[in-house]
Order: sequence, then C-alpha cells, then structure tokens
Amino acid sequence: MTQQNRLDSVGRIDRSKPLTFTYNGKKYTGYQGDTLASAMLANGIDVVARSFKYSRPRGIVAAGAEEPNAVLQLGATEATQVPNVRATQQELFDGLVSTSTNGWPSVDTDVMGMIGKIGGNMMPPGFYYKTFMFPESLWETYESMIRKAAGMGRAPKEIDPDTYDTMNQHCDVMVVGAGPAGLTAALTAARGGARVIIADEQNEFGGSLLNSAETLDGKPATEWVGSVVKELSSYDNVTMLPRSTVNGYHDHNFLTVHERRTDHLADIAPVNHVRQRMHRVRAKWVVLATGAHERPLVYANNDVPGCMISSAVSAYINRYGVVPGNDLVVMTTNDYGYQAAIDWADAGRNVVAIVDTRKHPEGTLVQAARERGISIMVGSGVIEVQGSKRVTSVSVAKLSDDGSQVVGSIVKLKADTVATSGGWSPVIHLSCHTGARPVWSDSVVGFLPGPTIQKQLTAGGMNGQYETSRVLEEGLSAGKQALGSLGLVAAEVTLPEVETLDITPPMSLFHIPHLKPTSQAPKQFVDYQTDVTAAGIEIACREGFEAIEHVKRYTAMGFGTDQGKLGNINGMAVAAKALNKSIPETGTTVFRPNYTPIAFGAVIGRHCGALFEPKRYTAMHKWHVEQGALFEDVGQWKRPWYFPKAGETMQQTLNRECLAVRNAVGILDASTLGKIDIQGKDAREFLGRVYSNAWAKLAVGKCRYGLMCGEDGMVFDDGVTACLGENHFVMTTTTGGAAHVYEWLELYHQTEWPELEVYFNTVTDHWSTATITGPNSRKLLEELTDFDVSNDNFRYMDWKQITVAGVPARVFRISFTGELSFEINVQANYGMAVWEKLIEAGEKYGLTPYGTETMHILRAEKGFIIAGQDTDGSVTPYDLGMGWCVSNQKPFSYIGKRGMNRSDCVRENRKQLVGLKTKDPKQVIPEGSAAILDPKAKMPIPIEGHISSSYWSEALGHSIAMGFIKGGLEKMGETVYYPMADGTMIEAEICSPIFFDPKGERQNV
Amino acid sequence: MSDVNQMTAAESAATKAAVMNQIPGSEVEGQSPLHHADFETLAKQGAQIGGVHLREHKLLGHLTLRCNPSSADQLAAVERVLGVALPLAPLTSVEKGDYSIRWMSPDEWLILVPGLETFDIETAFRDEMPGHYSLVNSSGGSTVLELSGDNVVELLQKSTPVDLYITAFPIGKVVSTLFAKTTTTMRRLDENRFELVIRRSFADYVWLWIQDASLEYGLVVEAS
Repeated sequence: MTQQNRLDSVGRIDRSKPLTFTYNGKKYTGYQGDTLASAMLANGIDVVARSFKYSRPRGIVAAGAEEPNAVLQLGATEATQVPNVRATQQELFDGLVSTSTNGWPSVDTDVMGMIGKIGGNMMPPGFYYKTFMFPESLWETYESMIRKAAGMGRAPKEIDPDTYDTMNQHCDVMVVGAGPAGLTAALTAARGGARVIIADEQNEFGGSLLNSAETLDGKPATEWVGSVVKELSSYDNVTMLPRSTVNGYHDHNFLTVHERRTDHLADIAPVNHVRQRMHRVRAKWVVLATGAHERPLVYANNDVPGCMISSAVSAYINRYGVVPGNDLVVMTTNDYGYQAAIDWADAGRNVVAIVDTRKHPEGTLVQAARERGISIMVGSGVIEVQGSKRVTSVSVAKLSDDGSQVVGSIVKLKADTVATSGGWSPVIHLSCHTGARPVWSDSVVGFLPGPTIQKQLTAGGMNGQYETSRVLEEGLSAGKQALGSLGLVAAEVTLPEVETLDITPPMSLFHIPHLKPTSQAPKQFVDYQTDVTAAGIEIACREGFEAIEHVKRYTAMGFGTDQGKLGNINGMAVAAKALNKSIPETGTTVFRPNYTPIAFGAVIGRHCGALFEPKRYTAMHKWHVEQGALFEDVGQWKRPWYFPKAGETMQQTLNRECLAVRNAVGILDASTLGKIDIQGKDAREFLGRVYSNAWAKLAVGKCRYGLMCGEDGMVFDDGVTACLGENHFVMTTTTGGAAHVYEWLELYHQTEWPELEVYFNTVTDHWSTATITGPNSRKLLEELTDFDVSNDNFRYMDWKQITVAGVPARVFRISFTGELSFEINVQANYGMAVWEKLIEAGEKYGLTPYGTETMHILRAEKGFIIAGQDTDGSVTPYDLGMGWCVSNQKPFSYIGKRGMNRSDCVRENRKQLVGLKTKDPKQVIPEGSAAILDPKAKMPIPIEGHISSSYWSEALGHSIAMGFIKGGLEKMGETVYYPMADGTMIEAEICSPIFFDPKGERQNV
Repeated sequence: MSDVNQMTAAESAATKAAVMNQIPGSEVEGQSPLHHADFETLAKQGAQIGGVHLREHKLLGHLTLRCNPSSADQLAAVERVLGVALPLAPLTSVEKGDYSIRWMSPDEWLILVPGLETFDIETAFRDEMPGHYSLVNSSGGSTVLELSGDNVVELLQKSTPVDLYITAFPIGKVVSTLFAKTTTTMRRLDENRFELVIRRSFADYVWLWIQDASLEYGLVVEAS
C-alpha cells in the first residue's frame, strides 16, 4: 500500500517498523509511532464517519483528545470490541482492526444521504427536548432509527477477556500534563525532594513540543524533553505515567487517572497483564498543566473532510511525517495559525493562501510566512468551502472591520485542505470538575480556570499562555510554589533558551459571516459530533432559551463523547451574538468527569467475577461442600441451604431434614450468627437499655432471649445473650444484623452513655457453632463429653463450659426448633474437628445435617420470628405478640420505650403477627400474599395484612404460615382470604402462630 | 424465673469474667482459616520465584485488650504481664520476643502471642489488671499473613488506599484499613515486608485477591 501523504523524513515514527491495520475491512500500512489517525491520513483516507443527524461525510479534524469525528469502533473479535475510540489517541499496532461507527451501510456510500436528509428535517434543534416532552410515545418510533443512523458505537456482545485494576497512589505534587509547563513543574518539584506523579495522556512526554519544529537551547525541543524525562526517571520519588489520562479531579485533591497499559500493543492484553489501570491519586498539591485546544472557526460547510484545525496540521507534519493534503488554505484570527502554513510549505507542498481576518498582522510568524513567499490575504475570511467527501475549493471574501459582515466580492481558490485557527481554548475541564466556574478573559479570548478551594496550581496553556518561554516560566513557578507550600526548598532549575516571538494581538472572532443570513447559508457547524449548527443555536435563542445551559440541552451542543471540546466556546459566542450579550454575560457550560470516555472495566477494576463480593465461609464450609449442600447467601455468608440426597426434590429434602430433627437429631452450622463479647461492670445495665426486656437479674450460667428495638420502638434484631460472669456477657445477633448491632452498641456507648463501664468486641469469627437438636441430641452429646448433661445438671437456658470431643467448649442449652438442643461453641480453629466427631458419633442416632431452609420451617412450626423476615421495621414487640419480652419496670429507660408507646403504636387494629392455617391443608400460601376479609369484594379491596413466613410442615402434615392481620390477636378463629395472581383464592383461619408443641415441653426434657 | 441470679455477692464477684483455655490437647489438630488452601503443598510444588511472597503465621494467640491509657496502674500491669509496655502513640507497635502489640484505637490494642501461651497470659491479666478493662481472646477469628518481595508494595497499592511510602508508613507502623472489600490490620515489618491480620471468614476472599493481584509479579507461597 502506498502512503501517499507520508514524508520521507521528519517525525517521531519509525519507518523501519511498518504496521498493518484494517479500516472498514481494507488493509493499510502505517509505522510504529503512528496514531490510527495519522496512519489513516498518511493513506489518504478522507471520510471517517457520517454525521450524527445529517449523515454528512466527516474527516479527521484534530490530532488529540478533542477530535469529534474520528471516533471509531476497535476490535478484531466480538469480545474485544471497543466503542468510542478516538483515532487520534489510539496508537497503531500491527493487526489493529477498526471500523467507522457513524454510517450505515458505509461511510463512503451515499445510501444514507436520503435517510440522513429525512432525519435532518425530522430533527430540528430541540428535537430531543421536544420528543422527550411530547408525545412520549414517539420516542419509541424514533429511537431505533436514530440509533442505527447515528451509530454511536456498540458494546461487545461477549464477555471482555481483559482484566482491569486499580492502584492507589499518594504524592506531594500531582502534575497533570507533560508538556513544557508540566515537565518543568515536575522537574522543579522533584529536584526539591517532593514526591511527584506526572501523568500525560500521550504515549510519550513532551506535549505540544512533540508537534512542533521549535528549538530549545538551539536544539530540537524533543532533545530537551528527553533530558528532562531521563532526569525524572532517575528519581525514586517520581512516578511517571504516560498513556494515562487524568480523567477526574474530585474533592480533596483526589484524582482518577486512567492508564492504558496494553492498548498500544494488541487487541488483548498479554497473559497475566491488565489492559487498563485506574490510579486513584491523593495529592497534597495538584499542578494542572493541561494546555489548550485550538478552536476551529465556524464557516459554511466547515465539516467537509479536509477542514482541520491548523495546529493539527502541524502535528501531523512534524510528529508523524504526514501532510494531510496537497493544497492548503489557512484561515486564522491570530499569529499561531500561520505555523500550519509554514510547516506545510517546509514539507514541500503548496500553500494556496493564508486568509487572516485581521487587517494588519505583523508578528514573527507572519514574517516567516512572507519570507516563504506565501500569499497572505488580510481582513478576509473563508466564508464557504465547496466539496462533498473532500474540500475542492474555498470562497474567500473581505470582511468588515469587526468581522461581522462580508463586504467584498468573492474569490474562489482551489484547495483540498482548509486549516483554521480561531485562537486557543485553555483546557479547563479538570478545574471545572472541582466546582470552579471558569472566568472569561478578553485578552486571552477564552475561559480561564476560576478560583478554587483545592490546593491547585495552574501553568502554561491552560492559563492562556502560549509562548513556550512563558509556559516554561509558569511551570517553574508552579513547581516552586508547590514546594514552598510543602515546606520544601527549591533547587536550582535553569530554563532552556527559547526564541521569543513578536505576536500581533488576536482578533476575537468565532463565526465567519456568509453572504446569506446564517439561517439560509449552507450549514455552519459549531459542534461536529452532535451536528449542532450556528443556525440551530440561533433558533434555540429565538425560541427563548437564553441560559447557556438551556441552549446546550435544547441543541445537544457539547453532549457528545468529546464533551464539545472544540465547539463549546464557538457555540457560546454564537449564542451571545444572537442574544446581543457578551460571552461572559452568556456564561459557559462546565465539564464533568470523565475527560475522555473510559472502559467500564476500568471503573470496575477487579471487583468482578469471583472477586465481585467477598464470600464469607465458616470453619466447616469444606464439609458442607463435600456433602453436596446447596448454599444460601445470608449477608456475605455462604450458609448451607439444604443437603439434598441423590434423586431428592428440594421439598423431599426439607421433609427428611425436618423429620430427622423432630424424631432423632439434626445438626446445623450456626457459626454465622453474630457474637459480641461484652465486658465491664455496667454490661448488665447496658443490656437493659438496648434490649426491651429485663437483664438485671440474669444469673451467671444462664441465657436469655432479647428483642432489640430502634428509637421508634420497632424491632430490628433479636438473639440470645448469656451471662458468662458477673461482668461478662456474650450476645448473639442475627447473621445479617451482626455488624449493625455492634455499631449500634458502640454508637450508644460512645455518644449517649460513655459513663457506663463496658467494652464490646466482635467474636463472630472466633467461635464455631454446631447446633445439635432433637430428642437424641443429649445421647449424642453424652458420648463426646465426660460432663453430666442430664436435665437435672444442665437445665434448659443454661450454658456450661465443658469439653466436647476433646475440645474446650461453651455449650448453650437453647433451642430455635423447640426440641432439646445444644449449641456447641468452640474456637473456630477446632470447629471442623468437633463437627466431624459429632457426625461420626451421630450416625447411630440418625444425625442429619440440615440447612437454613429446614431451620426456618422448624422455627415457624414453633412460631419463632426471624428478625428481617417477620419484622420489617414497622412492628413493635406488641405487634409480634411478644409483650412478654418488654419490661417497663426498669429504673432506666430502654431504647424504643417511648417510640412503642406513641399513640399510633398503641392504637387498636394495628397489624399483628398471627398464625394462619389453610382450609385445604395441602395449600401453602405464597409468602407476601395479601389478606382480605371478603372474597367477593370489588376492587379496590382493603388489605388486612400479609404473609411473612409460609411452609409445608411435614411433621404436622399440613401447611403453616405466619403473617400480619389488622387486629389479628383479637380475631382468632376468623377466616381471611388470600387472592392469587391466577384468580383463585386461598382460605385460611387465623390461629396461634405456635403450631407444634404449644406447651413447649420438648425443649425441656 | 429460673435464670434469676441467686448467688451471694462473694460468689458473684468470683465470676466476673469467664476465662477458659480454649486449646485442646495436641491430639486435636487445629485448622487455620486458610487450611483448605494447603500452603504446605503449594510451598513445595508452586512457583519458587516471584515478586510477591506469602506466608501464613497460623494458630497464634490473638488477644484484644481494651483499657484506659491514662491509667498508670493498668499500664504497669500490662508491662508486668507482657514484659513490654503498651504502645500509646497512634498507629505504632512494639515487639518483644514472641509478643507483639499493635495500637488499634485510643483504648484498644491487639496482642499476638504464641498460641499455647494464650490462656496463661489471659489468666495473668485477670490476676494483675486493676479497674475497668476487657480482654478478649479472638484467636479463632483471625489469622496472620506475611507478604514480602520486590512487588509487595504494588500489590498492596492495588488492595488498600493507605499511603505505603516508606516515610509515610515506616517500619513498625500499624493501620486498620480496607483491604479490597474487606478489612485488615496491617503492619510494616521491613521495607518490603508486611504483616496482615485478617478475619477468618474473609480469609479465602483475601487469598483469592492476593493470587489475582500478584499475577503480573508472580506469587511464591512459603510454608509457615
């Protein structure tokens, strides 16, 4: 393949390393050091996209992050598809596969032209606004068409094979941008001993110096860059991050930096390497040296491929050795625009003319152009270009002194490239992220970073300084200022000698007039990516959208993935003119993170797949897995749900597990319950204040059940607390509530009752708990201990310190099943040993492991609540029928006392927890079902309550349910109905929630 | 009620805190939270060269002490029991022989001792410590990982937001902080050597995380 626009020398590319890539299925060649954009231009590719709304052919405009058109889809395989890649920022690698996204079926055919024109007419400014507002239903119709026509890239349909991660960084000085200002600031800070991080979005440091033919100290500027980079890399206290975009600047000098580690190597990262890394930087000081983006001028048909910004033309020539055309016309409002013409001429190609909107340009660069014999047309503008897929000619005319009107006759010039410069826009995006409002500067003709509360300094182009000598000085000064603020002393830094330029002041001009009024002239684009024209902004203003934020939303200006980096200021200028205001009066929109689009993977990092969420395991987990348990997530814990045997349905397993507990003995891993060790002489008093029931007289060696309420009197947790010693208790909580209860205790102790002498410590993970329950549980325990565990010596609600299977244990004789039960607690390192001994010895007693589902059924048979299932933050202990668990005799109040005695909590007809027995014993009411009183009632039917727990009880041979019914405790024996989604009705009788062993004899044996 | 306290004052005072020797005889093998990962085999059969080295210090005695740092009597008692004074400066640690103490919060310290000495030390505390304090054995609830190697700081940078630069995190410094989506108490033992106390139930998650985060450096598991 020929690279017809490639120069034989010049540039930072390696001509000995050719690389092959494809664009829209066709093979091309570029060189190591190219971007995809420079390689495309070298190959003479003009059209890279079709525009969003009008489907107009679009070419490459810029050379950096501000590129609005060359936004491509990358990826050789389905899984490695990446949308929204700016070709100007994508380094070329061998085998790169790219396709255009805007354009169907292809950017080169005009099939879309017709649809595009329809789309254009259908989508006047405010289209989105109007469509979203009215009529809503139309959006559905438009959406699919717009999406296909606009083609904003697509996400891969397969799982991304790459990994992404996150790295935390800290530094004294974070320098953003490694151009002349950033490098000088970093060098100054590093020599002064500061910890420095310097990040730049490009593959190599140097910023604007990489794109120019400038000299420093009489040598190519890149030599100076090389020496600074070499010195910086020799310091231990400097971290250099190339290919890293500082994408977000957040509060407290926290910055997110998106590093692309392997995107320049291949479609997929090498084995064991991450593709992209998000650095989370916490900096004491931040130096923003983000430079400036050149502004294009707005003129008729300014989107025809071949229309570029002039600095991009220089960058392609000087950095990549690519001249993106043959015959150049430059239009500029300032001296810097001349550079493109000078570079173009020096590359040996034809500069047709420089069109300067100013009357008397005289600066150094102007002279340099004259010396090259380039024709300069002053006081003029390119009012229109001709061409479709490439510029063919331009129309130049004299302008009035203020540039607002065409005053002379039109001269047509033949050209294929138009480079424009409307001056520079400081890249203030990051400063905006922190909430700083930009400030307009008439002398800079642009917005400067506004005052900030961050520890932030700015230097160089972003301050509106464009002369290299001034930029270097600002970098030095920022570095010194940072050092001073850190209490460090600056070492000597000598700035290189730079040629100073005479500069003629720029003209403040954004929108080049046409012979016709803007509304009738050919389209004059302001924002390429969202297809916003000057006429569109004028319409928005005419329709009454005067605030710039409204204009933005009405026209979609700046809404593209480029955030309007090129177009925003021009748009504001057009709006200002239409509103007859100044630009500062019109104001500016601001920017949000991210500066450039990033992959979702980089946001998520490693918190995906197996590492998405921690999984917490008990000491016996391996055993459960080996037994084929299915697991239930309870908080982050993996708890055995049930232990199916081969061929069993879930219900068959549950029936078997339940009967084993009722008739023999079952074993449950209860290690996940929250356990809090409480010590101190006021521990007892504290318990009395956080539980609703009484604790003053609980004896050492005894356990008691407690209910915990919020200030509102609503139950939020429950559990058994044991008195281990006069000043020592251990509290159990629900599995999911453990952390909250622990924080709750600390909160009340630290803020309300610091005078109470009590300490809390979490011991959840320290103890493993094996619960054996059922009539045979005592026989099993007897086998593994020398202790007398008879009913006389070890009473219900006692705890004993004994040895079980050779391991010291605290055994609690408490029961959540209603059966004789022992909860055996041992240090978790020995949990598995004791568990295995129990399993071994239990075989002859029919010991059956069971999981949380059977646990739920067994407790429901007994009417025991589960906090979080039978409570929902709206029920008091009285609503649960648990008034017995409230003591109003305590000398000090308890949390929730006042709340549960509010008038609404003591009124008649509150929803109360009851049992529900279905008329058809085989029917199990679905949990959550709503209760009604009259099965024949017409909608809307008053709802009397709902089902909170519902199961099949094999032990009882019928279904059981617990639920809430208004005034339910007074309605025993009455009938309620539960309408089902299929139109049927389940009839149930209100009863006591204690279905099994109502006298509670079995646990006391 | 059957659970009402019937004890005399003297009986009650004698049971102020329940201390028990929780360690069985040597015939019962303890399983650390990472028992299932089988580090012994990995140490023999896994990679021998890598930027990150991992070793578990298992079955140590973990004691959490909470007391009043302005009580001279309590501080003296601690020194009598452990032979070393509590570190009172925030985020610091002290070490003497097999004992090490980490500052956890203004009234909280984590003491690591050899597993078999745990009960004796607890008992000694109960005998010596005056006033209001708590001492909790949490040995079963956590384990200790030692991470070292040329890339250990980078691995930790991926895992925790704390500044690990040597001047900001000198040898001996202790922090309790986030580790990925769990927590750890982390102490620097040497420039490239850190100790992480992690919770039992999260140990497998930490192990998975370390394996993943060390992929680009190589992980060497060492026998404990």
